[in-house]
Amino acid sequence: MDFRGIHDRLLAVAAPGLLGHDLPRPSNPADKKDKGRAGDPFVWVEPALLPAFLEVCRDDPRLAFEILVDLSAVDPSKDDPNMWVVVQLLSLSFRHRLAVKCTLPKASAALPTSTPVYRAAQWHERECAEMFGITFSGHPDPRNILLPEDWVGTPLRKDYVFPDEYHGISCK
Amino acid sequence: MGVLERQFEENVLTTKVDWLLNWCRLSSIWPMTFGLACCAIEMMAVGCAHHDIDRFGAGAFRASPRQADLMIVAGTVNFKMAERIKRLFDQMPSPKYVIAMGACATGGGPYYKYGYTVVKGVDRVVPVDVYVAGCPPRPEALLEGLMKLQEKIQRSSVIRRPARTA
Amino acid sequence: MVESKTVESKTVETRVDPHGPAQKNEREFMLDVRTQDLEVNMGPQHPATHGVMRILVRADGEICTGAQPHLGYLHRCAEKIGENVEWLQYLPYTDRYDYLAAMNNNLGYSMAVEKLMGIEIPRRALMIRTLCAELNRIGSHLIAFGTYGLDIGAFTPFLYMFREREWMMALFEKICGARLTYSYIRIGGVFNDAPPGWLSEVERFCDTFEEKWQEYVDLLMVNHIFVQRTANIGVISKAMALDFGLTGPMLRASGVDWDLRRDMPYELYAEIWKSGCFAIPLGTGERGTLGDCWDRSYVRVMEMIESIKIVRWCLGAIEPGPVIADIPKTLRVPTGEAYVGIENPRGELGHYVVSDGGKIAIRCRVRGPSFTNLAVLEELMPGVLIADTIAIIGSTDIVVGETDR
Repeated sequence: MDFRGIHDRLLAVAAPGLLGHDLPRPSNPADKKDKGRAGDPFVWVEPALLPAFLEVCRDDPRLAFEILVDLSAVDPSKDDPNMWVVVQLLSLSFRHRLAVKCTLPKASAALPTSTPVYRAAQWHERECAEMFGITFSGHPDPRNILLPEDWVGTPLRKDYVFPDEYHGISCK
Repeated sequence: MGVLERQFEENVLTTKVDWLLNWCRLSSIWPMTFGLACCAIEMMAVGCAHHDIDRFGAGAFRASPRQADLMIVAGTVNFKMAERIKRLFDQMPSPKYVIAMGACATGGGPYYKYGYTVVKGVDRVVPVDVYVAGCPPRPEALLEGLMKLQEKIQRSSVIRRPARTA
Repeated sequence: MVESKTVESKTVETRVDPHGPAQKNEREFMLDVRTQDLEVNMGPQHPATHGVMRILVRADGEICTGAQPHLGYLHRCAEKIGENVEWLQYLPYTDRYDYLAAMNNNLGYSMAVEKLMGIEIPRRALMIRTLCAELNRIGSHLIAFGTYGLDIGAFTPFLYMFREREWMMALFEKICGARLTYSYIRIGGVFNDAPPGWLSEVERFCDTFEEKWQEYVDLLMVNHIFVQRTANIGVISKAMALDFGLTGPMLRASGVDWDLRRDMPYELYAEIWKSGCFAIPLGTGERGTLGDCWDRSYVRVMEMIESIKIVRWCLGAIEPGPVIADIPKTLRVPTGEAYVGIENPRGELGHYVVSDGGKIAIRCRVRGPSFTNLAVLEELMPGVLIADTIAIIGSTDIVVGETDR
């Protein structure tokens, strides 16, 4: 199924939290500022309902997204008050992919964990939590995964300040 | 040699104690199996038949630091690993040597500027004897590093004259 | 249990046995093997962890009752660097996360950027890319299989496999100048054309490799000791593999017929698959249970020979022509985001890049297959013998550079 088909199916089954979709579009020759958008289409989803949405994606027989490929976040810019959580799904039976996106306010970045739906999400969420400072409520093992336990700061945020020293070792 | 000449039977060589001990040490440097990153693959290549580090007496890779003389830091060191490296180095028996293999271990390498967790050179954690350049260094480069280390060992002095007291 | 710590016959007589009345000898035996939980820290410096990974193994005697992988000993901030350097400058960093399959990493990243830019790649470049990616897959599987033998006690095959790998690395050295970190596949094509005589040498390599490959199968794959150590160990069921999001040989060993090269073809794989020259090996469970360590090794070994077939197809079909599209030195990538997943030797290597139209990416997410494949350890380890934990870790074939990035 292509993206249109997946989106129609999501509407048909009334997938919880589905807010809309975003398609790539060519640039507008009349308006020089509108450069269009390249790349993949994706759907917007309400962050609080992300696990429920993923469950529908997994269990619906026409969608059948068996594998959660990736879960990560994006901090679009320093000035933006929001950041995105992006989930990539893959269906083996129908050979299609879907990108799912949520917007989270940076000030209180929290959303429920998707680990009960896909076990694959567990480590991705741990990484996402330490790198972006997102809280995944209900996560079974919310420790740091790549960074040391006592690391200060969330490195992949755009406003991250590089440390000067760590445990007496200079970083400069 | 004037005094010692013809004092012994045949097949006896006379040399300095320093030279003998250094020769023993440099001919059987046992490295520790300590691969960190990409350079570890080249270190494995050095250990294998094509390059064969055994020719220089350094082929007995030891898994335990307590049996090793040489730590080849092959790869990027980050803060989480730095404390372990220090501990491993402390566990090695003296005399011990360290080769910093590759750009990362030498000075952070490509991760110098934006690598927030990367230690900019393993010499901030343990003393380094020989730096090998490259990213990753070719096996020949590591072998040359080993020979440099052997030269360094050859120059060291084991026997020290006790300080004279007045 | 036992009142006094010293084991005397008198104490044994008065001991309250939880397993009910038994013969005296048997009771003494049980007293002898009575154990307590022990936490063993495996790594970060451990020869069998394939890099610097720490696994906290909880052991009851010789039975492993739990395992907790600790990562991050090689975290090198690749994703942060991707947000700070220009598009082309990031290419060398892609070499360094999965350093055993650098060509595939270059390919994945280049394809993600090309998808955003919509560049048409010349056909000869596609051929060389496919060829190099498949050669690199062979090299990666050689190390995976060789070190796996090393882990479970077979030293010699490791030396044999490095012999072929050295040749393969010499081939790469001739085409791009580096042995391990190539940066050869560029955005828009490949860095330069193959030097004269290179393609015929690849052909010679293929001829030799097919011969040697049979040697490996005879030496290690069907070796009785190897089969004993790996069959029925660390069984991953199909449902578990999907739940954990496993990809690549780990998934195929569990009997799931999925290969991105066939099912979501990129580069020239659609054409190659249509020509019917290669097959997708799956786990069979012929030596044990479907999805055990032996099956995972089997899939890798069979994949090597399939890769040789793809290389041969490319050698037969390659035509002269340009090898790189016309791209500027400083790339400005159109606004948008793209996810591209390719079949790395370890599974699906995904690059998710976001651009705002500038010279530098907003986000350069790397979905490493080793990272996801490793998560299954927590589930696999409990209940196996300590010696088998090594077999299980080896069979996941992780590259720590990629789990930690």
